[in-house]
Amino acid sequence: MLTVVKNQVKVTLLNIKYALMREMLNKTTFITNIVFMILNNACFIVQWIILYSIKDNVGGYTFKEVMLLWGIAAGTYGVSHFFFEKAYTLADTITEGKLDVFLVQPKNVLLSAITSDVKTSALGDILYGFFMCFIATLTGIQFFLFFFFCITGGIILTSFAVILGSLSFWIQKADMIADTGNGLMTNFATYPDGIFKGVVKVLLFTIVPVGFINYIPIKILVSFQLDVFLLIIVIMFFVVFLAFFIFNRGLKRYSSSNLMNARI
Amino acid sequence: MSVIEVKNLCKTFKVKKKEKGLKGSLKSLWKPKYKKIEAVQDISFSVEKGEMIAFIGPNGAGKSTTIKMLTGILYPDSGDISILGFDPKKERKNLAYEIGTVFGQKEQLWTHLTPYDNFKFFGAIYDIPEQAVEKKIEELKGLFELEDFINTPVRNLSLGQRIRCEIVASLIHNPKILFLDEPTIGLDPVVKENIRSLIKRMNKEYKTTVFLTSHDVGDIEKLCKRVVIVNHGKLVLDDSMENLKYHYLNKKIVEAKMKEKVNLEGEDGISILKDKGYNLKIEVDTKKKSVADALKLLNPDNIVDINISNIPLEDIISDIYQGEEK
Repeated sequence: MLTVVKNQVKVTLLNIKYALMREMLNKTTFITNIVFMILNNACFIVQWIILYSIKDNVGGYTFKEVMLLWGIAAGTYGVSHFFFEKAYTLADTITEGKLDVFLVQPKNVLLSAITSDVKTSALGDILYGFFMCFIATLTGIQFFLFFFFCITGGIILTSFAVILGSLSFWIQKADMIADTGNGLMTNFATYPDGIFKGVVKVLLFTIVPVGFINYIPIKILVSFQLDVFLLIIVIMFFVVFLAFFIFNRGLKRYSSSNLMNARI
Repeated sequence: MSVIEVKNLCKTFKVKKKEKGLKGSLKSLWKPKYKKIEAVQDISFSVEKGEMIAFIGPNGAGKSTTIKMLTGILYPDSGDISILGFDPKKERKNLAYEIGTVFGQKEQLWTHLTPYDNFKFFGAIYDIPEQAVEKKIEELKGLFELEDFINTPVRNLSLGQRIRCEIVASLIHNPKILFLDEPTIGLDPVVKENIRSLIKRMNKEYKTTVFLTSHDVGDIEKLCKRVVIVNHGKLVLDDSMENLKYHYLNKKIVEAKMKEKVNLEGEDGISILKDKGYNLKIEVDTKKKSVADALKLLNPDNIVDINISNIPLEDIISDIYQGEEK
């Protein structure tokens, strides 16, 4: 069992390594993608600086907490899109019959499929996340927690994308639903949760689980609570299980295709 | 010993029916209609160890659907499949260690990597130790003549070189069965011939069972001793290549260069394919007239040059397809 896991991890890392090598074919494109993403994210923080020059508190968040929110949002987005970029185009992969290649290999189909591409600009997001964390002057433990939440958040975000993408096994043109759902996750992730009330707040901790990716981690970073910390881990494993379960159920309905394609 | 056993295999696809135009799209948005396409209907066959079998049929016959069910890509609706004792539905991963697949229309290799790096990657996928992979690459490099381009990125290779690399990548783990889905699609005749001889050599060397689907009669004729023909999802014929030729080759093509013009119009059992004065091409139906009788009609003293050949296998297969449709 341990060897199986070890071999799976080895192949997954090789997948990511080769996908990264493909992105690095052009030095200029590679570097500008990263730099422009950092600049893009930095633009948004300017509007928060202006807002906090007028008000001390927005939705129960101080400026430092908003920076942390942006840091975690960028970090989780970066981790998810860098390591599992193909989770976001899973719907197309399914409808275009591109899972065939992975189905004839003795490895996990979902992991092989979602790690077969990386998004260079996501490295910019990860760097930006750590930059925000540096500005917010976190302690050693807080920094570890920040790093940890970037990973748990990235995994939850990816699982959510896999669930939405897997709808393609049942629904035609599910890519549109997946795009909207993934967009919602990103949009809600950068605003303090205090500004959302009622049904929206319930949605943010259920159907659109931004709460477990961003809001609760911020609260743990500000004031550590073991039970809530453990809850995040439980939620992460639950969403991962759900993603694998739905994908594997859907796989039985996979209809492949005869479209000509290449791994480029 | 059977390495592939298929019993009563069925697969149906549900496809949305849509009337033409925007009106049709709107209609299908509110009241979608579906039709069932029976891609594979009650197919049964078995393949022995070391056999090279051609699984052929026209477009949409159910060839690719069958091969995809055999390799674990698609789930069958009903029926049993046993590949080397594995059920592809339940034991996909275990089966993948034992089989190799090449889809002529779908590339498995990373195009920015060299074939060598790709082979190493495939070695990792099949959990083969580094040294064993190196040894295997060295062995296959010689067999498939990859020396000149093994370190060139795949995107810079010709189609023929790429297909050779695809086959090598699928052989890196010593599969017992190789599934080839139209491996020579888009290749020129010289490269096709080269690929065929390499597949033949591989079959001889490693005793690998080859399950081939192709539209190219040359592939089938030169590689396979057994032919399974499917049409409209049903098995139409399962016979040896020899029998196929024997039973369906009741027509001969006679091409003759004559000293004097001959008129064979209206002769029973003879159809004139081409008549250019002194050059004549006729088809002789040997059930009605023997070749010797046909030659007598031409008058042997009147013949300058002659060529007698079988009708192309392509025509035989197309006759079988059409016969089934009627």
